[in-house]
Amino acid sequence: MRRPLILALVALAIETTPCSAQLVVQGVRDLDFGTVIQGVAATVIANDPTRSGQFYFKTPALGTRIRIQFTLPTQLNGPTGATMPITFGASDAMAKGTAPASVPVAFNPNTTATFTMTSSVDANVWLGGRVTPAAAQRVGSYSNTVVMTVTIF
Amino acid sequence: MRLFTRVSVAVLAGLSLAGSAAAQTSGTINAKALVRQPITITNGQDLDFGIVIQGTAKSISETAAAAGRFDATGTASANVNVNFTLPANLTSGVNNLPIGTWTGCYNQSAALNTSGCTTIASMAGTTATAFGNVAGAGRLWVFVGATVTPAAAQAVGTYTNTVTLTLTYF
Repeated sequence: MRRPLILALVALAIETTPCSAQLVVQGVRDLDFGTVIQGVAATVIANDPTRSGQFYFKTPALGTRIRIQFTLPTQLNGPTGATMPITFGASDAMAKGTAPASVPVAFNPNTTATFTMTSSVDANVWLGGRVTPAAAQRVGSYSNTVVMTVTIF
Repeated sequence: MRLFTRVSVAVLAGLSLAGSAAAQTSGTINAKALVRQPITITNGQDLDFGIVIQGTAKSISETAAAAGRFDATGTASANVNVNFTLPANLTSGVNNLPIGTWTGCYNQSAALNTSGCTTIASMAGTTATAFGNVAGAGRLWVFVGATVTPAAAQAVGTYTNTVTLTLTYF
């Protein structure tokens, strides 16, 4: 009666170990609008080399099909409860595999995007956006969180 | 045998949950911005050499009453870089009057170049400073001086040119 139980537990350990290393998603760089002037909208494009946000993800194998979905804020939070609108355009996200032959692909961060990993198992995703400070926007530092979720399907 | 069956079902359920969690992963970054007031710069006073005699150089110090003055507003205490675009000549039609040896200072608390004015070490380079906080308002006054060097046969007339101050938040 005890032998089957032991075998089953061993099988669980072997099977779960590779799962934890199959998919990695990391935030690399903040989306940084820098200094923004009251009343003047500011845009960061996805391929801005220093200000665009950046994520990195790694999948288990070539041919993996994934979904990329962002959780995007609608406002940045500032001093003493002040908020500032932030929006993301239809081409504000860009993905590119790490292989030399990979080509960048622009996509809409407001909707779920699907990809198949054909040339590399890992890729970077860059994110741009636009903030629209009011003329009387309270001065100070504003920020909010952007989440990128990758799902294998 | 009944016990074996129950244990196996539990283990399979655990595998399924673990596999599902590993197939979806998230990463996080911040979106951030630093809001500042617009910078305004107005001409507080022209740099005025007055009457200049042919063949005689004339200097106006940045601390002189005739020094040029820029009046700037922005976000209180915010850092700014100071840069100038300086002419090499004053002009009167086709005639040039050389101008150089530029000097400058800035004051963060008052429109004074007689006291509290910090010397600008390099008028050709970038000077890092900050707006002062004057009763909650960001203020900066910048003064400039220079030397004109008329030739002995300098054509008489009125000579002018533009001095540009650029302030950039950093």
